[in-house]
Amino acid sequence: MNNRRLLAILAIVLGLVLIAIAVVYWVEPARSLPSFFPGHQAGSGHHHTKHGIASFLVGLACLVFAWFNTGGDRSQRPAA
Amino acid sequence: MPISYFQGAMLGLLQGVSELFPVSSLGHSVILPRLVGWNIHQNDKFFIAFLVATHLATAIVLLGFFWRDWVRIVKGLGRSLRDRGIAPDDADAKLGWLLVVGTIPAGILGLLLDNALRSVFASAQSAAIFLCLNGFLLYGAELLRRRAPEVAEDDDTRIARQVGWRDTVLVGSAQALALIPGFSRSGATMAGGLLVGLSHKDAARFAFLLATPIIGAAAALKLPELAGSSGNGVRGPALVGALCSAATAYLAVRFLMRYFERNTLTPFAIYCFLAGGACAIYFALT
Repeated sequence: MNNRRLLAILAIVLGLVLIAIAVVYWVEPARSLPSFFPGHQAGSGHHHTKHGIASFLVGLACLVFAWFNTGGDRSQRPAA
Repeated sequence: MPISYFQGAMLGLLQGVSELFPVSSLGHSVILPRLVGWNIHQNDKFFIAFLVATHLATAIVLLGFFWRDWVRIVKGLGRSLRDRGIAPDDADAKLGWLLVVGTIPAGILGLLLDNALRSVFASAQSAAIFLCLNGFLLYGAELLRRRAPEVAEDDDTRIARQVGWRDTVLVGSAQALALIPGFSRSGATMAGGLLVGLSHKDAARFAFLLATPIIGAAAALKLPELAGSSGNGVRGPALVGALCSAATAYLAVRFLMRYFERNTLTPFAIYCFLAGGACAIYFALT
């Protein structure tokens, strides 16, 4: 497996994980977030929508990166 | 009514100009009410609702002004996604991805730090000091800038050729400085553009293109504040402010695109340094 393919697979996995984390942020209030998540706060009913958007955008960027890296060899690729 | 129609019009006129001139719109929106004795503070919920309307107006004006460019850029993005790569001669696609890559760090920093920075640097005094520092930033960029090569390509091709992926992350991240009242978003991106070797005109063009999605998205994200209870009693003045902001933003972008064909950031640096310094001294004494 060459480096580009490995990078693409890692980007896909990371992208999917980040999008899943985004959904958790949107669905769960701060008190129900896992304690290692930024924004976790015991007893708080606040939804960290912005954290979710940030996570979603980075996840999407990872998927786009993977999309370009699994294409042909003839052109430049964005560094997102 | 927390903001009068007159105050809305004044703040709107000021916002439209100062959002695009490299002199910090947020800084001016914080400093002006203190200077003239208005009881308006940047963390007041009604003021945030008001700013949503003026920012949305500015973003729409920018989108309209560069509409043809955006159509080409979006088509270029579509082509590159279809082909799973950017053709070497496809400047629109390269510019489009430069804008996407540059927007991501600024967007994330904005989403995560906006509230924290606003509450820490809420005072007119700190905005005046940062406005002064913004002057140093602009002048420093003029001193350190790399000379742009004279080439006869069209604007977007020049930008796409000159700006690399790391450069766009750097320039895009610089936009996050604008979360601190007193630092200018367009100033930071223009300064970044000059440092990576763009001409003044291309740096301004790249800064305005980069600003459009960020300003629009930030305003759209906070639209519920204007539509909800925070907007009660503000929507009328906000509409007036938005119209005034749109008018001055249009004039500002038209002026600046011509101005930067031959001129530099230095006059804006001097203004920021003097105005910021004078206001900081005045606020300290009163």
